[in-house]
Amino acid sequence: MSLARPILLLFALIAGVLAGPAVAQSDPDTLRPLINELADGKYDQTQKQIEALAATGDPAVAPALEALGEGDLYVRKSDGLVFITKKDGKGYKLTDPLTLETAGEAGRREVSKIKVNNKLRRVIRSALGSLTLRAPDPEVRRQAAEAIFKAQDPDGIEALDAALAAETDVGVRKVMEEARAAAVLNSGMDEAQKLDAVQTLSDMGNRDALSLLLATQASTEGAVRDAAGRAIVKIEKSIAAWDAAQNIWYGLSLGSVLLLAAIGLAITFGVMGVINMAHGEMVMIGAYTTFVVQELIRTSAPGLFDYSLFIALPLAFLVSGAVGVAIERGVIRWLYGRPLETLLATWGISLVLQQAVRSLFGPTNREVGNPDWMSGAFEIGQMTITYNRMWIIVFAMLVFTGLMLVLKKTPFGLYTRAVTQNRRMAASMGIRTPWVDALTFGLGSGIAGIAGVALSQIDNVSPNLGQGYIIDSFMVVVFGGVGNLWGTLVGAMTLGVVNKFLEPYAGAVLGKIFVLVFIILFIQKRPRGLFALKGRAVEA
Amino acid sequence: MMSSFLFRAMDTRAGIFLALMAAVIILVPAGNLLVPEGSPFHVPTYAVTLMGKYLTYALLALAVDLVWGYCGILSLGHAAFFALGGYAMGMYLMRQIGTRGVYGDPILPDFMVFLNWKELPWYWYGFDMFWFAALMVVLVPGLLAFVFGWFAFRSRVTGVYLSIITQALTYALLLAFFRNDMGFGGNNGLTDFKDILGFDIQADTTRAGLFAASGLALVLCFLLCRAITRSKLGKVLVAVRDAESRTRFLGYRVEHYKLFVWTLSAMMAGIAGALYVPQVGIINPGEFAPANSIEVVIWVAVGGRGTLVGAVLGAVLVNFAKTWFTAALPDIWLFALGGLFVVVTLFLPKGIVGTLSQGWSALRQRKVSADYEAGSDEPPAPPQSPSAPAKIHPKPAASRLPADAEAQPAE
Amino acid sequence: MARSNSLLYLDGVSVSFDGFKALNELSLTIAPGEMRAIIGPNGAGKTTMMDVITGKTRPDSGEVYFNGTVDLTGEDEASIAELGIGRKFQKPTVFESHTVLDNLELALKAPRGPFATLFHVIAQSEKKRLDYLLDLIRLGPKRGELAANLSHGQKQWLEIGMLLAQDPKLLLVDEPAAGMTDAETAETAELLKDIANDHSVVVVEHDMVFVRSLGVKVTVLHEGSVLAEGSLDHVSADERVVEVYLGR
Ligand SMILES: Nc1ncnc2c1ncn2[C@@H]1O[C@H](COP(=O)(O)OP(=O)(O)O)[C@@H](O)[C@H]1O
Ligand SMILES: [Mg+2]
Repeated sequence: MSLARPILLLFALIAGVLAGPAVAQSDPDTLRPLINELADGKYDQTQKQIEALAATGDPAVAPALEALGEGDLYVRKSDGLVFITKKDGKGYKLTDPLTLETAGEAGRREVSKIKVNNKLRRVIRSALGSLTLRAPDPEVRRQAAEAIFKAQDPDGIEALDAALAAETDVGVRKVMEEARAAAVLNSGMDEAQKLDAVQTLSDMGNRDALSLLLATQASTEGAVRDAAGRAIVKIEKSIAAWDAAQNIWYGLSLGSVLLLAAIGLAITFGVMGVINMAHGEMVMIGAYTTFVVQELIRTSAPGLFDYSLFIALPLAFLVSGAVGVAIERGVIRWLYGRPLETLLATWGISLVLQQAVRSLFGPTNREVGNPDWMSGAFEIGQMTITYNRMWIIVFAMLVFTGLMLVLKKTPFGLYTRAVTQNRRMAASMGIRTPWVDALTFGLGSGIAGIAGVALSQIDNVSPNLGQGYIIDSFMVVVFGGVGNLWGTLVGAMTLGVVNKFLEPYAGAVLGKIFVLVFIILFIQKRPRGLFALKGRAVEA
Repeated sequence: MMSSFLFRAMDTRAGIFLALMAAVIILVPAGNLLVPEGSPFHVPTYAVTLMGKYLTYALLALAVDLVWGYCGILSLGHAAFFALGGYAMGMYLMRQIGTRGVYGDPILPDFMVFLNWKELPWYWYGFDMFWFAALMVVLVPGLLAFVFGWFAFRSRVTGVYLSIITQALTYALLLAFFRNDMGFGGNNGLTDFKDILGFDIQADTTRAGLFAASGLALVLCFLLCRAITRSKLGKVLVAVRDAESRTRFLGYRVEHYKLFVWTLSAMMAGIAGALYVPQVGIINPGEFAPANSIEVVIWVAVGGRGTLVGAVLGAVLVNFAKTWFTAALPDIWLFALGGLFVVVTLFLPKGIVGTLSQGWSALRQRKVSADYEAGSDEPPAPPQSPSAPAKIHPKPAASRLPADAEAQPAE
Repeated sequence: MARSNSLLYLDGVSVSFDGFKALNELSLTIAPGEMRAIIGPNGAGKTTMMDVITGKTRPDSGEVYFNGTVDLTGEDEASIAELGIGRKFQKPTVFESHTVLDNLELALKAPRGPFATLFHVIAQSEKKRLDYLLDLIRLGPKRGELAANLSHGQKQWLEIGMLLAQDPKLLLVDEPAAGMTDAETAETAELLKDIANDHSVVVVEHDMVFVRSLGVKVTVLHEGSVLAEGSLDHVSADERVVEVYLGR
C-alpha cells in the first residue's frame, strides 16, 4: 500500500483548500466536540467516532482525520483538547484541527498521542474518501474519484457506492463509476462484477483505461481476461483514431500558421507575380506593432490588455501595408517584368528592414503577452485543444474569407483581377494601373502584418521572425499553385498536416526536410503547383 | 581542337586579368614570407588568409556567374555546393588530426567519440586519403547538382520557381547538417584542424601555399569559363538565357546545356569551398544558410553578371567592404548590403564591369561612325527597311540585359 | 492524300484550353515540296496548329505525322526541329544580345549537343553559307550588329534567314509580313517563293495581297477546323469564307 500516503496527502490538500471559510458548512462549534471525543476510548470506539465525523459530510474535519491517520493528532492533557501537532525541537507545535490556526506549543509531556492501528487507518482513509467524494464542489468530487481511480483502491468501493447514490452531476458520476470499476478490478470481487468493470473501462476508452486493462489481462484468467483482451483491442483502435485526430488538429493549426504567413505572399507573388523576399519582414513588422501596442497599454491603460490584439490588428495592417506601398512605389514598380531582379532587390530590402528593427528594438526577443482568452486549453474526447491554436485557426479562416470577399466582391478586387489578366486592356479602360499595383501590394503586405499579430502569440518576436517563414511561405504558394488563393489554402493545410504526421516517425527536423524534398520533387512533376492556372497569360 | 578551345579563352581582357592574378599570386605570399616583418611591404599572415578567403569567394562567384550571367539560371543554392566541397575537405582534415584530438582516438573524430559512436560511419571511409577527398570535393557537389538539375531542367522548372527550389534545397541541407546523427559534427561542424598534406595548417608557409592554390584554382577556372563562354556552346547558353523556347525550336536540347553548366558550376563551387575551409579553419552548417547563397548573387550583380571578370571583381569588392564595415561600423553593414541589392538592381543592372565596357564600346563605336562619316564618301549600304536606324544607337541600360557587351569577332 | 506519301499529315487533331477548343478535329495534309498558305480570322487556331506540329502543344486527340512515318506527338521541340521542321514565330524572336551573324551561326545546321558545340570550330563551308545567307536576307552590312538593334522588318528577315540556315525539309512561317511596308511585303513574298523551290513551306498570313502573290493552294481555318481549301479565287468565292471574314 505504498500509494496510500500520497493519496491521503492529496485528500488532505483538497480538504485543506475546502477548509477555507467559503466552503465551510457547519460551524466549528458543533464539530469540535466530535473531534475532541477522539481523545478517549478504545479502538472500536474510535472507529465509531471516525464514522460519526465522516457522517457530518463536512470537509472541515478532513485535516483532523488526516492527522489522525498519520499519527499527528494529540490531545492536550491539561484540558483534553485535540490538536494537530508537529514536532519542534523538544516539544510540539500545536495547530487547531478545525481552523488550522496555530495554537501555541506544548512540551513533550503535556500532550499524548491518539493511537491508531492499521484497521483504523483503513477506516480513516475511506472516511476521508467519502468525505471528499461528497464535497459540495463537483470539481473536488471529481478529483477525489480520479484519485481512487489512480490508486485502484478497493477500499474506496464502499465510499464510491455511497457517493454514487447521492451524485447528481452526470460528469462526476461517470468518473466515479470509472473509479469504481478500476477499484473493482483490483479487488477480490466476483467475476460478474469484474466483467461489468471491464465494460465500464472499455467504454471509458482512454490511455488510463488501457493501462488498467492491460494489467488486468496480465493478472486474471478466464472470462475477465478475454473481456479485457477485447476491450484492449477496441481501445487501441479508438486511441489510434484520436491520435490521428489530434495530429490532424496540430496539422491544421500549423497549416493555419503557414496560411497566415503565405496568404499575403499569395497576393503579391500569386496575383501580381512579384517575388517579395521582404514578405517575412512584413510579418515581423506586424508582430512588432503588436509589441508596441502592448507596451503602450501596459504603461498607460493596463485594463485594455485583453483587447490589445484587436487594437494591434488594424494598426499592423496599416503599418505593414504602408511599408509595402512604399516598397512598391520606391523599388518594385521599376522592376515589373524582371522577376529575378525583383527577388534580389526585395531581399536587400528585407536586410534593411531587419537591421532597422534590430537597431530600434534590439536584437533579442521581445515579450508579447497572451491575453487571457488566448491562454489555456480544453479537451474534446482525448484531444487537447489550446485556445491560442484554436483562435489562430479561426483567425486564419477569417482572414482567408475576408480576402476572398475583397478580391471577388469589391470594385478594388475587380480592378486587381483586371490588371492581373491584362494590364494594357485594363489601363485603356481607365483603370489607374499604378494605383492598383500599389494598393494590391499594400494589401498583401498589410495581410502579412495581420499575420504577424497572430504569430506574435505563438512565436518569438525577434528581428529574424520573418526569415523563419519566408521559405515555408514560398513553398506553400508554389505548392498550392500560383495565382490561386484556394490553392494556397489547400497547400498550407496539406503541408501542415503532412508535416505533423511525419513528425512522430521522423522527428521535427527530418520531417521538415522530407517536406522540402517532397516539394522539390513535386514541382518537377507539376511546375505550376496543385491548382495550376492554364493559358497564355501564364506562359508570358 | 583542344588547343583552339583553349586559345579561345585568351584576349586582351583575359590577358590583363591573368597578369594581375599572377602578380597577386606571387607578390602576396612573397610579401608575407620574404619581406621582414618591420617593412612597410610586409603582408601579415592574417591578411594573406583573408585575401585567400576572398579568392575562394571569387571562385564561387565565378561559378554563380556561369549559370546566372550566361544561362539565366538564378541559383539561390550555390552555397550548398560550396559547403559540400568544404565538408569533403573538412572530413579529410578531421581524419588528419588522428590521435591529437581531445579524446585521442586514432580513427574517430572528437565529436563522434563525444556522441559515443563506436565506429566510423561508412561515408567517412577513404577521407583519410587526400586524393579521395579531393575527388569527393568535385564529385559530391557535382552529383547532387546533376541529379537535381536532371529532374528540374527536364521538367522545365525555370525562373523564380527554380530559384525557390534551389533555396529549398540548401535549406533542407542546412537542417540536415544541423543534426548530430548525420555524422558531420552537427551544430559545431568540423574544426580544430591540425595539418594538411603533412604541413601544419597554422604555419605561414602553409597559409601562403593555400593562398597561391586558391589563386591558381581561380585562374584555371576563369580560363575554363572563358573558353566555354566564348565557344559556340557559350552562345547557345546566352541564347537559352534570352529566349529559351526559341532555342529549343532550333533543335537544341536546352536541358542538356543547362545540366552541363549547372553541374560544372557546382563542381567549381565545391572546389571553392574546399579551398575555403583550410584557410578559415572551420566548416559548419551555417554555410548552407540561404542568405549566403543570395549574397553570392549580389557579388556577381555588383561586378557585372555575364562578365567573368565582373564576378571576380564583385566578390572581392563586396567582401572587402564587408570586412571593413563589420570591423568599423558593424551596425551599418546590413544596411549597406541591403542597399547594395536595391541600388545595383535599380541603377546598375549590368554591374560595374558591364557598365564600363558598355561605355567603352559606345565610345569606340561613336568614334568608328565618326570616322566613317568624315573619311568615306561611299555611304553605307542602304538598310533594307526604311525604319532601320542608319546609325548605331546602343540601347540605354534598359530592361534587357545584353551579354558581354564587347563585340566578339567571328573566328 | 494518304499518310504514307505525305510530308505532313494531320488527322482529327483537337486541342482545348480549359474547355475552349482552339483546334477542333483539324485535318490537313501537305505534300513533299508543296507550298501552302493558311488563312483565317484571328483566333482561328493557326498558331496553335503550328504549336502542335512543332511539339510546343500536345494535342488532346488526333494524329500528327511527318514524312508519313514519324509520329510528332511523341517528340519534343528539339527533336522535331532536328527532324527537319523549322519555324518562324508570329512575334519575331531572335536572340537580341547576339549579333546577326551569331544568330545565324546558332541556327546553322550542325550537331546540336553540348560537347559538339563546346569544341565547335567554324569551318570554311559554314562561313560561305553564312555569307550567302547574310546576302540573301540583306543583312550583310549589319552582320556585327546586335540583333536587338534591328528594325522590326529586319528581325523578320533575320528569322527567315535563321530558318533557312537550319536547312529544314518543312518551313512553318507564321505571319511573315506582319509589320512590314508594302515593298518589304512584296520582297518577302519573292523570297518565300524562292525558298519554296527546294523546300516545303506552310505560310500563315492575313494579308490577302501577300497570299495572292504567292499563288499557291490556300486552306481557310475557322474555329479550329478547315473551312475551305483550294485556290485563292476558289475559296474567296465560298460564301462561308466571306461570311467568316466579313460577316457578323
Ligand atoms: N496556351 C493557350 N491558352 C489558352 N488559350 C489559348 C492558348 N493558345 C491559344 N489559345 C486560344 O486559342 C485560340 C486560337 O489561337 P491562335 O492559334 O493563336 O489563333 P490564330 O493564330 O489563328 O490567330 C485563341 O482564341 C487563343 O486565345
Ligand atoms: Mg496567330
